[in-house]
Amino acid sequence: MKLKTNKEKNKIKDRSKKADEKQKNILEMLKSHGAKIYDDLENGQFPKFSIPSRSVSNIVYDKNLRQYILGNNSAIRSSRNSSQLRSFTQLMWLAFFANRLTQEKKSSTLRDVYYSSQAFAIEFEDQSESDNIIVDLEAVTSKPREDFHIFPEERSSIFGDLNIEYTIPGYEGKTMNLSNHPDGYSIGPSLTTAELVDTSAEIVIAIEKGGLFTRFVEEQIDKKFKSIIINTGGQAPRSTRTLLKRLHEEMSLPVIVLTDGDVYGEHIAMVIKSGSANAAHLRELTVPDAKWVGVWATDIEKYKLPTIPMTESDIKRCYDLQKDPRYQDGIWKKELDVFLRLKRKAELEAFSKYGLTNITEKYLPQKLELAKSL
Amino acid sequence: MSLIKEKFNQISPSEFFYSNRDLAGFSNPTRSLYTAVREFVENALDACDQKGILPDVHLIIKAVDPEKSDPKPYILTVKDNGPGIDPEHIPLAFGTVLYGSKFGLKQARGMFGLGATMAILYGQITTNKPVTVKSSVDGNTQDEFELLLDIQKNKPVIVKHTTKEVSKKGLSVSICLEGDYSKAGNKIRDYVYETSLITPYASITFDDPKGEKFSHPRFVKDIPPPPTIIRPHPHGIDVERIRRMIVESQFEIPNIDDAMIEKVRKDLGLSMKNLSFTAIMDKAKKKWKTLSRQVRVVIALMSFLKMDFEKLNKIKIEDIDMPNKKLFYWDFGDSQSKSVDMDPESSYFKQLTNTVQGEPLTTFLTKRFQRIGPTTALKFAEFAGFKPEKRMGTMTNQELVNLSDSLQKFDDFLAPDPSCLAPLGEGPLEKGIQKFFNPDFAAVVQRPASAYSGFPFIIEMGIAYGGDIKTGGPHVYRYANRIPLLYDEGSDVVLKVVNDTDWGRYKVKGDPPFIIVSHICSTRIPYKTAGKENVADRPEIERELRLGLQYLSRKLAAYMSKRGQADMAKKRANLYAKYIPLIATFATELAGKKKEPNFKKILENENIESKKTVDEENEVENQ
Repeated sequence: MKLKTNKEKNKIKDRSKKADEKQKNILEMLKSHGAKIYDDLENGQFPKFSIPSRSVSNIVYDKNLRQYILGNNSAIRSSRNSSQLRSFTQLMWLAFFANRLTQEKKSSTLRDVYYSSQAFAIEFEDQSESDNIIVDLEAVTSKPREDFHIFPEERSSIFGDLNIEYTIPGYEGKTMNLSNHPDGYSIGPSLTTAELVDTSAEIVIAIEKGGLFTRFVEEQIDKKFKSIIINTGGQAPRSTRTLLKRLHEEMSLPVIVLTDGDVYGEHIAMVIKSGSANAAHLRELTVPDAKWVGVWATDIEKYKLPTIPMTESDIKRCYDLQKDPRYQDGIWKKELDVFLRLKRKAELEAFSKYGLTNITEKYLPQKLELAKSL
Repeated sequence: MSLIKEKFNQISPSEFFYSNRDLAGFSNPTRSLYTAVREFVENALDACDQKGILPDVHLIIKAVDPEKSDPKPYILTVKDNGPGIDPEHIPLAFGTVLYGSKFGLKQARGMFGLGATMAILYGQITTNKPVTVKSSVDGNTQDEFELLLDIQKNKPVIVKHTTKEVSKKGLSVSICLEGDYSKAGNKIRDYVYETSLITPYASITFDDPKGEKFSHPRFVKDIPPPPTIIRPHPHGIDVERIRRMIVESQFEIPNIDDAMIEKVRKDLGLSMKNLSFTAIMDKAKKKWKTLSRQVRVVIALMSFLKMDFEKLNKIKIEDIDMPNKKLFYWDFGDSQSKSVDMDPESSYFKQLTNTVQGEPLTTFLTKRFQRIGPTTALKFAEFAGFKPEKRMGTMTNQELVNLSDSLQKFDDFLAPDPSCLAPLGEGPLEKGIQKFFNPDFAAVVQRPASAYSGFPFIIEMGIAYGGDIKTGGPHVYRYANRIPLLYDEGSDVVLKVVNDTDWGRYKVKGDPPFIIVSHICSTRIPYKTAGKENVADRPEIERELRLGLQYLSRKLAAYMSKRGQADMAKKRANLYAKYIPLIATFATELAGKKKEPNFKKILENENIESKKTVDEENEVENQ
């Protein structure tokens, strides 16, 4: 191991300073919310929150931000209202709990939060109720739950030449190269919060399927195309989307998305690019410059891929997306129209018809070339 | 080929009831014991009611041999402090079927005093023991009878009759009968309990065969005003009834014998003086208004015959031919039949017409029925197509049928007179409900009188909620003429109305602790069966029940929503007490403070303002 240079040491200092700052900001924000409630109680008033409304009517597509955002409607949740008192208290508890997690640099999962509540006489009927309160907290603070050290359970994975430095307690300063393990690294809290130190990669390839991810590692796509490969495992979890955004912004890497050739695949790419309605209250999850390179509906015809017929729900989904403002032009609209015309779909694995390496040797290079012009 | 000759026998009423005793509720030992209790207790209460005596009723059931298993003989005794029965009537009242004092048209618990005799009859045929009746009318002497019924002859057999000195008025009846107390006990206790609820002015005690004593002292000191006997309403009448009324309104021509003449003399105040014809007629004219009908008829006859008493003694009236205005008589002196012409203009002619042909239709209507005045009578006569002066005694069978039909169809009669009814009244009913159920809420209503088929009726109802009432309601207590109805609940009109009610609309939900008391008073309760346990769904009665229940339900709903608000306020207060301290704890740590904020103020304020409903639930701010 070579000694770190001064420049590198400073860089590390900068990084930990940045992480401390972020933590401090979160704690300050929680404190100011807490102080307001404290003062209300002290003054003999029922405290209340203003929560941005997350109802469908308040979710609008912002063309400048290129993502869905919440509109201006907000609702008051008051501790005076007996039907809101319980959820008010739940939200307060969650802020309190998030405060402790952040202070102590401990991470938790959605399920963990649900069970932790029981230590404080806070009752949640089920996990979906506590999950919902977590989204409330996100909406109030405009911060993703990961900032409060609450992570989802579902994991996707990453592989490629990327050096990271852990910031989680006990691992501070430790570094890791993400090409060290051929199965890839699971994108959990420690990875999402890690500092991205450096990389030789020039592009990020997000791929929908675990099987293809393994094939890509085997075929050394990381080296052949100087890329970082990410398995989204279907719809990308929020931590994965956060990491994609950071790779794009902090390491200036373009992101391309490779999905199955169906309407759901198209939408997986769109969510990475411009977010989902469910997370419209957050603005740190999208990669507006991400590019969907396939499998397109037109590819099905072009490459004569084996297909399967679309189900009724596939077709319904097509019609639904046609109403979405993001699908009004470009390839998004065009491919949707073709899907509807074909009424058939194809999976990434369909390329195996032409041999196992066909997809990496033929399709991918063509698509990467194409992506430059997109 | 043989001819079988049908045998026709006439059977006596007691013979008939002996063979059909299940008609009156004596079908088995369980039912019979219960029915016997009912009949005697109701007779005791009726007797006291009618004389305005606050009833003290004592019911005793004792097993003859407690070791034996049911069914077995029991001695059933009911004592009261009522007016008693004259010793001369006792054998007939208790030893004859269909003998009684309750045949008038007014509300009473029983109708014909039939049930008590049936109980005695049932006791006799199951145990072969006589009934013991002790009665004191004056409070000094008591007559004690032991009686058996001669079933075939429907006649009492006096086994024993003694008298002794006593200090209290009243009647005591004691019979021995086969019964099943282990099965009937529940019903009998329920009966006693429910009877005392609807008879709050009575003290009822019950000594049961197991040695338990159930005591229900009176808690209301006033007896509701007794009902009066009234004339029938035209809508409740049939041809047979009209025929009987006509007979009552017609009179036979008196037999002019010595006794009759003696009576006329006496009524005119003639003593033994022999006056001339003119002198007698003068005297009669002066005293006309005070004279009895019989005497008036004799005077009228004399006026047409132009005879004094001397001559009158020697004739016999044969016929009065009103249409031909002729009077026929037999003259014993001349031994021949004679006739005289009558002057229709004479006032005596009218007297005779009345006697022979009955009253004119209009008079008949106004005098024999309730609430018909001369105007209505005339209108009715026109409606029915009769001449107003048509004599009742001259009506043919067909005319009577027409009359009866028209009486049913004519709509302009006033509603029946409810003075024959004796509702308990709202005050005593509410007191009873309060005492028996100690509820959180109670309401009662007495509906105005109404009528079905000419029989007046009044609905009284009560509703109570909460307190000592068991959950799982509504529990319905049904009464008819102060009798609790305990059997055959399912098909009763009251139950129908209660079940038709959507209680959710009145904010009554789940398994409510909730009772309904329904009392139907009528001169005739339209029971569905002879067992007298469930009331048929006559539309008029159903409507009144529904209106009564709706009125009470609205009151209940008002109470429930108040109660709901109070509950809600309490619930809210509890919620605040639970959650505000938690919020304070979390806020303290979030704000980085050491001391918790003083949140007690808002909890106290909230208690004061809990009635104000501040709704910020859906407040939406457009920023």
